[in-house]
Amino acid sequence: MKNIELALTLLIAGFVIVFVVLILLIVIITLYGKIIQSAQNAVSNKREKKLAQNKENTEKSAVKAIVREDIEEDDGEIPEEIIAVIAAAVDAVYGNKPHKIKNIKRSRSIRSSWGNAGIAENTKPF
Amino acid sequence: MDIFNQLGEIIVNLFRDSGLCSLSWENYVMIAISFILMFLAIKKQYEPLLLLPIAFGMMLVNIFPGIMGNPSTTLMTEQQVIAAGFDPSSYTTTVFEGVTYYNVTQNGGLFYYLYQGVHLGIFPPLIFLGIGAMTDFGPLIANPKSFILGAAAQIGIFITFIGAILLGFMPKEAGSIAIIGGADGPTAIFVTSQLSPELLGPIAVAAYSYMALVPIIQPPIMKLLTTKKERSIVMEQLRPVSKLEKILFPIVVVVLVAILLPDAAPLVGMLMLGNLFKESGVVERIAKTAQNELMNIVTIFLGVTVGATASGTLFLTPKTLGIIALGLIAFCLGTACGVLFGKIMCWATHGKVNPLIGSAGVSAVPMAARISQKVGQEENPANFLLMHAMGPNVAGVIGSAVAAGVLISVLK
Repeated sequence: MKNIELALTLLIAGFVIVFVVLILLIVIITLYGKIIQSAQNAVSNKREKKLAQNKENTEKSAVKAIVREDIEEDDGEIPEEIIAVIAAAVDAVYGNKPHKIKNIKRSRSIRSSWGNAGIAENTKPF
Repeated sequence: MDIFNQLGEIIVNLFRDSGLCSLSWENYVMIAISFILMFLAIKKQYEPLLLLPIAFGMMLVNIFPGIMGNPSTTLMTEQQVIAAGFDPSSYTTTVFEGVTYYNVTQNGGLFYYLYQGVHLGIFPPLIFLGIGAMTDFGPLIANPKSFILGAAAQIGIFITFIGAILLGFMPKEAGSIAIIGGADGPTAIFVTSQLSPELLGPIAVAAYSYMALVPIIQPPIMKLLTTKKERSIVMEQLRPVSKLEKILFPIVVVVLVAILLPDAAPLVGMLMLGNLFKESGVVERIAKTAQNELMNIVTIFLGVTVGATASGTLFLTPKTLGIIALGLIAFCLGTACGVLFGKIMCWATHGKVNPLIGSAGVSAVPMAARISQKVGQEENPANFLLMHAMGPNVAGVIGSAVAAGVLISVLK
């Protein structure tokens, strides 16, 4: 009887302690995650503003770079090297067939198709 | 003729000393069991890193029990010491009833000394150091609610404790058996070494066997408790976690857990130290040592010595059958509780959480998370649950260490 009482006490105490400790961890980790994220966002916003300002200044003074007319940059964020690589890849696929790149835009999906392929490769069940 | 007599005597002595005369039927049964475990480890690759040394240790101790023998001291008179070919001046003396005896010490077996790392609770925290250095807590930091699933899967431990008490086990034994439900080998060994070291063999074998059988045990329970629609839920991608968050995580966890539950400090402390080595990025050499060389060395010692505790006379008892049955119940209950809490979270988030990730809360890293992934992909091949399941999976490691702390603090 004494042992059963102990078992019931341990069941309740164990349940409560494990949950309390882990819920406390949830609260703390969520809180510090938010603090760190907001702090980092503030820093990156500042940096972006600075960069935008610098860009504006250089654009005013320098001659505007000529980009191929048939390629629209998405907010000017895609570097020319990437455009060159994409153009080369398209060229490699189409070869001698007549082709034209009209538009290059960033995919809205955060995970790239390369990333998807990698995950599929690494998570193939057994 | 004398030569033949001496030769015969030598052969008779060799036969007497050999296992053919000194071993009992229990030893032979254990040797057979060790062969089966070796087959499972090599052919089926069930947790081979631990099952193979455990099985080999089990085999060795049943062939030559002296390998686990304790050191001993024999009181001998001076004549006996000289007759045995020892130097009396090398030994301390004890005077008993006016007679001087020499304390002739005999060293223990090889495994006796290696076993001290288990007996004193040194190896499991060292294994945790390596696990920490290999673990990415990113998915858990990105979705801290996973901790709930890691906690839910520990409920099986405490329910099994009641079952073990009802079956007549003493509270300390029941605590050691119940921790099998945490599906964490080093934690089970740590708790058992603290509460009831005599059960270490059957508990370690049961814990690692069930961990190896995760792909067989968990899927039926997961499918039974979830609907097809729930299993098909695709979860949103986790947010990226910054380096600073990853560095702060082990410090925050260890401070909180060690303050609230000091008995869990050795396991959680070493787990988080290993993780801090990895995430800080400033001690790459140490991190690599912790996750490779140190981990491998400790795994060898832990495996063979835990296996060596399974000598026939200790292992082949009705208690062992009870431990194996209760361990399985604990494991199934842990899985079921995790999935059920996953269902609650699914309901609470209006279908954003796939309940299958709940089963990963039983630790058994990373196998349990891979099972969530596998069962999820059976319903929807484009569903990637692995990273989502890693959150509860690593939360389960912390959860089982906390549950271990509770058991030790209440029962010790």
